Amino acid sequence: MTAFRMKRRHFLLATLAVISEKRIAGAEPRRFRVAFANLNEEPGTRIDGLGFTGAEIRRSFELASRSLPLDMIYYDNGGDAEKAVGNAREAVSSKVDLLIEYNSDAKANAEIGRHLKTAGIPLLAVNYSIPGAPLYTADNIAAGRIAGEALGKFAKENWPDQTPVAAILGDVSDLGAAVTARIQGLTEGLRQELSDLSPVQLDSAGHSVRAGSVLAKFLVTQTRRKILVATLDDASALAAKSAVETAGRMSDCVIVSQGADRSIHGGASEKKEIDPANRGSVILGSVAYFFDRYGYEILPIALRMLRGEQVPPQTFTKHVLISAKNVFVEYPPVDMN
Amino acid sequence: MKYGAIIGIAVSALALFGTFGVANAQSDCKTLVKPSPFGPDDQIGATNRITPAVTKAAAAEIQTGAVVSMAYNLVDGVPLFGTRFTKTILTTASLVPGAEYGKNRLTYMEDTYLSQSHVGTHIDGLGHIGIMDCYYNQTPMGKFVTQNYLKKLGLENLKTFATRGVIIDMVKVFQDAGKLKTNPACRTPCLDGGTVITDADIQAGLKMYNVTLREGDALFVHTGWGDLFNQFPAQNANYNKSEPGISKAAAQWLADQKVVLVGTDTWAVEVIPSEDAMEAFPVHAILLTDNGIHIIENVRTDLIAAEAASSKRATFFLSMTVPKTVGTTGTFVNIEAIR
Repeated sequence: MTAFRMKRRHFLLATLAVISEKRIAGAEPRRFRVAFANLNEEPGTRIDGLGFTGAEIRRSFELASRSLPLDMIYYDNGGDAEKAVGNAREAVSSKVDLLIEYNSDAKANAEIGRHLKTAGIPLLAVNYSIPGAPLYTADNIAAGRIAGEALGKFAKENWPDQTPVAAILGDVSDLGAAVTARIQGLTEGLRQELSDLSPVQLDSAGHSVRAGSVLAKFLVTQTRRKILVATLDDASALAAKSAVETAGRMSDCVIVSQGADRSIHGGASEKKEIDPANRGSVILGSVAYFFDRYGYEILPIALRMLRGEQVPPQTFTKHVLISAKNVFVEYPPVDMN
Repeated sequence: MKYGAIIGIAVSALALFGTFGVANAQSDCKTLVKPSPFGPDDQIGATNRITPAVTKAAAAEIQTGAVVSMAYNLVDGVPLFGTRFTKTILTTASLVPGAEYGKNRLTYMEDTYLSQSHVGTHIDGLGHIGIMDCYYNQTPMGKFVTQNYLKKLGLENLKTFATRGVIIDMVKVFQDAGKLKTNPACRTPCLDGGTVITDADIQAGLKMYNVTLREGDALFVHTGWGDLFNQFPAQNANYNKSEPGISKAAAQWLADQKVVLVGTDTWAVEVIPSEDAMEAFPVHAILLTDNGIHIIENVRTDLIAAEAASSKRATFFLSMTVPKTVGTTGTFVNIEAIR
């Protein structure tokens, strides 16, 4: 090959490379159609024992999908197994590229799993496992443990010479796996710090007003003791705080909650219980479950699946204790004063 | 004397403690904020780019002399961010019969204006936004704040804004792309709250009127959201709850074009809720803190957008002056587009 030919060949190759690069750079990324079947969007219905609503979860998907090459389709399972199966069938008929399924009924989930497998559509499960599908889930034991440890550490640092009592307050009779796991984690966390502690369970039957009265009665039986209160949701924590204040036991009690929903923390102007300016509250904090960020966590996993990448069989929420010290870091306000 | 000495020692100790407190709070600003391209002592930011040549070139935009207002009236009741407030008090004492001055019976009136500075159509100065205690040009602001004002990066440092203005009609861009999702509370088409404006959208808006951004330009984006501002106080809550706005990538693209300011008919210029739920006002940090580019909020863009649509010309001479209020982080401004 002559020098001229070589130069010409190099020139042609370089030109082709530039053209193909430009084509790649200018190409729109492939868009995918992703369906999200939500657990329950019935107004007022709380999700998985915490203070979040289905609407908040859905909104997080709407916001997170803005910057992703995804066209979203939404279904509401309405807390109904039959409806969930119907929605999954509709998603298959609509030829979605992937279905994200948030449904609590194991039998229906198994059916949905079979149906999607037959259709060759990938499936991503949320909080309730589906055979063969990757799972994004809250780590209820870990979340409970964070709260238990926080209470135990507070007692060791602030009441080193006393043996406190501990109470788990909320819908303790809920036989769901999530609540059971949270109670297990709470107990483990407390015992990790204070090995002799056996928390009593105070049942509110899921009613926050009742949580306050149940705790008030308990406080009367523990007049000389320091009390660590672990609540199973934020509404119960706020009711517990009122009961503690009414009983004049603010210096004897501390509360750590589960959920960190919007009822307990707010923005810079929207003052709520967990706030940088309220560091002396008897509510030390609430363990975040970030249901209102599910879209931001789950859609990137879905996108990886759609691009043929391996994803872990289970991805857990990174729970943190939201307190006055970090609430604005974890939940940046959009109002500044 | 003895007590005076004790008090003196106590005050000195407190002052020392306070100094140490501030010193301890300081961060390594070189790792958190970009250096200014205008040198380590720069406090001017992007207005450095408005050279006499830039102003002269911008003056060529004045073809008819028509002036288009780009500011809202500032009056009690307009949407205010967070717990901000405005209140005017009129002093009329000399109007009382017998309180006139001199044989010519002169009277006078004046106002007391109680307000935060970031209200209405206003400019965000370089002392407004930082990452921890690090502000524009890697300035460790802990050393430069007093109870009353900034000792660095105050508005008095800014140069002129006599430059070319460019309006992008993002409503038209989204309409043309078939992706406009309006908000039902808007009486005229608007981008809905939470709509992300990308750098591709901005480029499409420039292309619509065949504009190429020049170094030193002032860029304004019409989103239609300002219609909610205009409906005050009825839509104040809606206006402040969210907004359409530019993405982080779009902000970086604009910084790369070396514009001097970005203004919109929204209260924060950037998309709210943010693209990343864990970040607070990232576009503010990109524009102000890292690049010294000013942000103008609550700009009245509908009139100039309509003018651009009818004349097919999206550029104008920008008339905007900023009071030399020493050590302030922002102030309300009046803006006019001269055509």
